Amino acid sequence: MPRAIEIENFSYKYPDGTVALSGITLSVEHGQRLALIGPNGAGKSTLLLAMAGFVKGTGKVLIDGLEINSKNLKKIRTSLGSCLENPDDQLFMPTLFDDVAFGPLNMGLDAEQVKIRVANALQTVGLAEMADKAPHHLSAGQKRAAAIATILSMAPEIITLDEPDGSLDPRNRNNLIKLLAVLHQTLIIATSNMNFAAALADRAVLLDKGRIIADGEAKKIMSDSKLMTMHGLEAPAKPNSWLPEFR
Amino acid sequence: MHHAHIDKFAYQDSPVHRLDSRVKFIVVLVFTAVVISLPRTSLSILVCYAVGPFTILVFGKIPLRFAFKQILLVSPFVLVLALSCPLYDKTPVTVAFGPFFWQTSLGWMRCFTILGKFVVTMLALISLVSTTRFSDLLTGLQKLGLPKLLIIQLGFLYRYIFVLIDRAHHILRARAGRTLRNLGFKAELKIAASMLGSLLTRSIDTAERINIAMQGRGFSGSWHTLSKLEIRRSDLLFALSAAFFIFGLYLFVRPLLP
Repeated sequence: MPRAIEIENFSYKYPDGTVALSGITLSVEHGQRLALIGPNGAGKSTLLLAMAGFVKGTGKVLIDGLEINSKNLKKIRTSLGSCLENPDDQLFMPTLFDDVAFGPLNMGLDAEQVKIRVANALQTVGLAEMADKAPHHLSAGQKRAAAIATILSMAPEIITLDEPDGSLDPRNRNNLIKLLAVLHQTLIIATSNMNFAAALADRAVLLDKGRIIADGEAKKIMSDSKLMTMHGLEAPAKPNSWLPEFR
Repeated sequence: MHHAHIDKFAYQDSPVHRLDSRVKFIVVLVFTAVVISLPRTSLSILVCYAVGPFTILVFGKIPLRFAFKQILLVSPFVLVLALSCPLYDKTPVTVAFGPFFWQTSLGWMRCFTILGKFVVTMLALISLVSTTRFSDLLTGLQKLGLPKLLIIQLGFLYRYIFVLIDRAHHILRARAGRTLRNLGFKAELKIAASMLGSLLTRSIDTAERINIAMQGRGFSGSWHTLSKLEIRRSDLLFALSAAFFIFGLYLFVRPLLP
């Protein structure tokens, strides 16, 4: 069985020449929960965009065994769902129902199947009663959950989340952790919040200045306070006490 | 940030809310066309026509205060147009109301007719928007044959206008927090231009990210939605009643018109 994600020596420069990613080599197994940690500007978001085929650099990116190219793009985007940093960018339809149905409809599913998928996705994120609401009527926490529902309705095998805990209060953050903890998909979570990463990830990849600095067991990497401080991060407050609570 | 949305009552439940958006849209369109085509001396007939939207607002449980507040918000444009009428048309006319009659000018007649038509048609529009969810209205318009591209544009406009207003508020607040003295008209103009530029740049960034979100979910240029509209008996009854009211009133008052 091919790996969920396989990246070989991937590099990417912004149009102004700034190096965003340099020599990234990374492989992720199916079912893994990987935290992509690093300071602001480390290249986390760009790497997630590269995984979904939105930035084209040098090197190889394979998703579920398929190399990213125009021929495979549609298939890749069905198996890999990208959740953007700002839910307002992800929720662009007039109602939540239409937003969650957008992906399944583009997949060519029939109306009944789409309705079932929308109902299941909204049920999973706890927004079943809000289907007819307009996105601007939702709270920040609900918008985040709704953004995840737009991905879940497409039933992808891999989900990438860019700073999913951003601008959430502790209660909403905990709700999000509970929601993500029960998902069976391969999760790639880009975050600079180590408590959030520690609560969900079994593996961590530390990224700084476009390069992979460390790759290994989440607990081990994130508890190395010297390494964390050196790269503008901080060790999670209680790395061990988070895990049993949510997983 | 919470906004006073124009459609904040559209999510209520009432017999009017449950009507098909297409029927409501066509009724409002015909009503508006008939009211606009009334002659300039038909002020008293306009009052009769106002009964229609008022009934819808009452049955739809829309507070009249909210409706008039919305009208006031857009009234300055029409007020300028209406109040200019008495200035250029001073032809004297006699107005009669039952046993009472008085002298005025044709300009003032025009002014009140414009204002009357504006208020009545705006009431009809508000009763449509306040009793119909925007998404249903878009689906209805699509079913009525409006171009898909226009529907998409309207959908995005409705979705992102509030995000844009929020951003503009944030920028204005950031500026107000650092404005300690009057910099003069020229400098203020320069700052305003920078603020607008920043808003435009952010809007372009947002558009790019929305494009990514759409493509990420399989969008390849064709727009698919699930229509949930169906014409029921209550819709036909409403359409018939509205037609009877609009055209019946017109036929009734037509012989009375000068």
